[in-house]
Amino acid sequence: MTPTTVRRINWVGGIFTVLTVIIAVLWAFPIYWGIVSSLKPEDEVVRPYIELWPETLTFRHYWFALTQTQIGSWYINSVVTAVGVTVLTVSTSLFAGYAISQLRFPGRTVLWWLILASFMVPTQVLIINHFVLMANMSLLNSWAGIILPQLIHPVIIIVYKQFFDQVPKDFREAAAMDNASEWNVLFKIYIPMNWGVTTALSIVTFIWAWNAFLWPFLAVTRTEMMTITVGITQVYDAFGVYYAQQLAAAVLAGIPVALAYLLFQRKVTQAITLSAGIKG
Amino acid sequence: MSEIRLNNVSKSFGGVQVIDGISLEIGSGELVVFLGPSGSGKSTLLRMIAGLETIDGGTLTIGGKRSEHLAPGQRDVAMVFQNYALYPHMSVRENMAFGLKNIRMATSEIDRRVQDAARILEMDALLDRRPAQLSGGQRQRVAIGRAIVKEPAAFLFDEPLSNLDAALRVRTRVELAELHQRMQSTMVYVTHDQTEAMTLADRIVILNNCRIEQIGTPMDVYLYPSSRFVAGFVGSPGMNFLKAELSATDGKQIATLGNGSDVALSVDLPPGAYELGIRPEAVQVRATPAATTGKAAVVEKLGDRTLVHLHLDDGTSLTALDGGRSEVKPGDIVHLDFDISQLHLFDSDGVAHHAK
Ligand SMILES: Nc1ncnc2c1ncn2[C@@H]1O[C@H](COP(=O)(O)OP(=O)(O)O)[C@@H](O)[C@H]1O
Ligand SMILES: [Mg+2]
Repeated sequence: MTPTTVRRINWVGGIFTVLTVIIAVLWAFPIYWGIVSSLKPEDEVVRPYIELWPETLTFRHYWFALTQTQIGSWYINSVVTAVGVTVLTVSTSLFAGYAISQLRFPGRTVLWWLILASFMVPTQVLIINHFVLMANMSLLNSWAGIILPQLIHPVIIIVYKQFFDQVPKDFREAAAMDNASEWNVLFKIYIPMNWGVTTALSIVTFIWAWNAFLWPFLAVTRTEMMTITVGITQVYDAFGVYYAQQLAAAVLAGIPVALAYLLFQRKVTQAITLSAGIKG
Repeated sequence: MSEIRLNNVSKSFGGVQVIDGISLEIGSGELVVFLGPSGSGKSTLLRMIAGLETIDGGTLTIGGKRSEHLAPGQRDVAMVFQNYALYPHMSVRENMAFGLKNIRMATSEIDRRVQDAARILEMDALLDRRPAQLSGGQRQRVAIGRAIVKEPAAFLFDEPLSNLDAALRVRTRVELAELHQRMQSTMVYVTHDQTEAMTLADRIVILNNCRIEQIGTPMDVYLYPSSRFVAGFVGSPGMNFLKAELSATDGKQIATLGNGSDVALSVDLPPGAYELGIRPEAVQVRATPAATTGKAAVVEKLGDRTLVHLHLDDGTSLTALDGGRSEVKPGDIVHLDFDISQLHLFDSDGVAHHAK
């Protein structure tokens, strides 16, 4: 490689770096703005000009959110429902994906097409049915009522099927020679060989469930049963909306997801790529 | 008592008949090699024994027990896969123990067998490694170890050496032969490599187009191939094939080659057009005029011997095997003699007739 090409590549690389930084700043700014605003007194927030740093730093809104609202219950509700959705979605999808990928049974193709088709149906279309169904089952205002309709994630089944499809047939045959039961083939070979996928899918499902708003908003009317995403919309008092207060609650709501991202950064990126390949 | 008996077995894939009525007996303690080109049905036949392919018709008996309807794990056979198929997330020890745990064998017995196998294969030090931390040759050993711990009636190998480099392949081949001698167990070994077949086999089963061409000891197959296909497939460098016209005068038989030379021989065949087969070692380079002459095109010096690739006048190619100190140079006109006891004639159906 000649020095000129090296220089040209550095130059191009430099432009990309600058572009990436600009885009990152554009993306990160609203988050920064939200956090900074939540630390300002309410009157500073509504000033018509931009102030990048609070004139008076205050934790009052956080204190308010933590003491004057039911944020503790909301947290618990969110944790229980998000974990419930994650565990149930991932475990059922795992079995479904395995069965469709590895077992031969009548109706397999039809089932597969149904799953693919259901993936084309946006949840919003089903939401009235879900509501009526949950109401008839008297599950509104309950954890089960929040969880059940959120278990429909065909994309997880599709990802699992594709990964199980890619496991070389040799392993299945070696397991057959080794007297392994179907159960053992799944739990001792297919799942351990695809731990990465399970972790990644669990993380994204958790994040989806944690951030879910529309369904929990409809399914719950009692304040103490709300999830945190729904609960933060309740942070107002008789005098109307207070932006800083709401933002403080929103920041508190976002912390677990932010932590999940930070802890499992690589896995999350991988999971998003995995599901994006299918979600388009 | 661990012989394998296939009786008139057949197999089709989606309506296409692949194996059609093959019968075969593999004796207890025998090492039988299925040899044939790619697509000749070797793997299918082996997998039918293993239970990885269903048997559509006929019967299979392993160690005296009817087995065609048994699940793979219940046939008392162990298989070594071409790609080893070691479970990547398990240690060597766990890989070997997996099949034993599945039949709820006592832990102490599992440990004993794993230790024994590790000792036999000299891999005690590797037991706690993962397959990814092993070399190709070591993985091969683990795959064999995984079979040994089962103490099966028979071992099945599907091209087990094809993923190794040339030097390692030769070494492992010798080790396998040793293992067989030590364990005295029944083995069925699939390969497309005739050298492997010749060196390892007690008997070779030669397959072509999913049909058995010949069954015999390596020397049988080498010296008395039953067909043109076997003659061409076994032996390296391969047998020479020349057009020949067989005639009989005064009770003497003569084969006339394409270049007009006559070769006297004795064979139970009527006059007519045949293909004459002769191995390079039966074509001798002479200093003085002999049966025929050819022009040396390429001379390959192999040290202990020399391969001389020749053309006869009519353009027929022929390879002769000469000594290591051969003086033949490309372009030389060479005198050639044929060892007439090693001549074969093939009729138009490819059936072999051996000279007496
Ligand atoms: N699963 C299968 N489906 C359809 N045809 C197959 C299948 N397995 C093998 N065959 C066919 O059976 C024949 C023998 O194949 P195989 O036993 O793999 O040959 P070999 O091991 O000698 O290379 C081939 O013609 C191959 O195309
Ligand atoms: Mg094969």
